[in-house]
This record gives sequence, C-alpha cells and structure tokens, in this order.
Amino acid sequence: MRYFQLWLESTRLSGFMNQARFGWPICACLHFLGLSLLLGTVGLFDLRLLGVAKGLSPAAMHRFVRWGVLGFAINLITGTMFIVGKPDRYIYNPAFELKLVFLLVLGINVLVFYSIVHSKVAVLRPGDSAPLGAKIVAATSFLLWIGVICAGRMVAFFIP
Amino acid sequence: MAFYFYWIEQSAFSTWLRESPSLLVFPTLLLLHTIGMGFVAGTNAAIDLRVLGVASQMRIAPMQRFLPLMWSGFWLNAVTGVALLIAYPTKAFTNPVFYIKLAFIALALVNTQMIRNEVFRDPNLDERPVPRKWKILAGTSLLFWAGAITAGRLLAHTNSQLLTESY
Repeated sequence: MRYFQLWLESTRLSGFMNQARFGWPICACLHFLGLSLLLGTVGLFDLRLLGVAKGLSPAAMHRFVRWGVLGFAINLITGTMFIVGKPDRYIYNPAFELKLVFLLVLGINVLVFYSIVHSKVAVLRPGDSAPLGAKIVAATSFLLWIGVICAGRMVAFFIP
Repeated sequence: MAFYFYWIEQSAFSTWLRESPSLLVFPTLLLLHTIGMGFVAGTNAAIDLRVLGVASQMRIAPMQRFLPLMWSGFWLNAVTGVALLIAYPTKAFTNPVFYIKLAFIALALVNTQMIRNEVFRDPNLDERPVPRKWKILAGTSLLFWAGAITAGRLLAHTNSQLLTESY
C-alpha cells in the first residue's frame, strides 16, 4: 500500500491536484453535482419501484438511469483525482474503505438488476406494483447510495 | 457585525456544535446537509430533465409525488444550514460566495414554484407537447440549483476568516 501511495504521489496528475489552485475545488464541485444527479435519477427510479409515484411507467423512467451513469462517471473521475492527489488521506481511511465496500455491493446489485429483475420491470405499466425481487434490489440501491454519501462525507473526519 | 458574530460564537450552543468531539454533532450536520442537497437538487433535476425531453414517454404529472421528498430535503437543509451558521457565523458572513449561494437558492426556489404553478397545475399537462416556456424554466432551474451547489461547495475553499477573535 505504501508503494502504491508513493507511486500515486509521484504522478503528474497528483502534482496538478496539489499545485493547481482550482484543481481541487473544481473537482469537489463536480463531485457534489454528480452526487445530486445520481441521487435524483437512480434514487427516484428506485423509489418508483418501491411504490412512490406509481403513475410513472418504470420502462420509460429507466431512461433516467443513463443520467445517473453520467453522474457516477463524473464522480468516478473526480473521486480518482482526489485519491491520486492525496492518496494518504484515502487508502488508509476506514470511512473510505466502507465507501468502497458499499460501491462494490452496489455493483453486484446492478448486475442482479439487469440479469434477473430488469425483464420483469420492463413490462410494468403505470400504476403496477413492482415484484418483490425488484423492490429488494431498489431498496438496496437506494439505501446503499445514501450510505455511499454518508461514508464519503465522513472521509474528512477519519483521515489517518 | 463583529459583535454579533462574536456573541453567537461564544454561546454554549455554537461552541458545542464546533467543539464536540462526537461524530454525531458537526460531522452529522454536514452529512445531513449533503443528503438534503442531493434530494432537493436531484429531485428538481429529474423534473427538469423530464421537461427537457428525457424519458419523454413518461408522464410528467405523477412526478408531483416526489415534491414532498424535495421539500423534505429543502427543510432539512434550512435547519442544518442555520445550525452550521450558528457554529461558524464569521466564516459564512465574511465570505462573498455565501451571498452568491443564498441568491442562487432564492432564484432556484422561485423557479421551482413557477414550475409548480406553470407545469404541475396545467390541466392539459401530458396532453400536449411541452411548451417552450416550460423548457426555459427547466433550464434555469438546472442552472440555479447547480449554481447553489457549486457556491456552497466553494465555501470550504474560499473563506478568509474562521472566527471572530474579539470585537
């Protein structure tokens, strides 16, 4: 881990994040914009599957998910830039490790959604209740994304 | 003004918010403020994206059901925001970016109310193509909420004075 840290610190990107005056603040702003976009699209889709705003067609609403992917991509890039910038703040940080665990489970949850649940969700009509399996996947997604935000916000208070 | 900042900062409540070592005090305040932000801006963004043509096969009217979630996020942030102000009044009020953030929030709220009145109260909602005026409102809504988030995030990078030492 120590060599990984030293290698990250030696990269040009790390130098940029530490020396460019606006590098870190701009990435931080984008990270919060990405978070909101993700929560507003994927989070609301999860809530629809859980029974909120059942008048919405889940198949049509699924179009929102690609905007959530955009939010996630923004946060993956800016998040990586934070880690490269100051690796010692993150790679030994229990809050950051918890965030990674949540993200890993969310990744598995996405695979479960598209391999098992999606075909059942795609045929739902406005007003229909989602099957139990879809609700479990949606609840997992909704709660873990909030968990990711919580763990991410706690990173600053667990810097070793 | 320095007197008022000093007086607030010396109060037991402000000192406790700042100095309590518990993760359940200041860190939790920041955390709730972030989650509230995600729900206010995220729900508004979803409505704006739909009005702008994303998921256009989906009816707009049922999205009203998400408005209570949006307002819960807003009030959570009003309360946690005031608590953060009580903890660090000098830090916020001496930073011009803080006033920019408040201005963006005010504009965004007026915009959100206009969307409610124009879009959600339209009796022909979902019966006709989305009018140009609604799209403009959706565009400005995205701009104002993004502005509020950006200004809010920049507060951590632009403050010049943390506390009032004396008055």
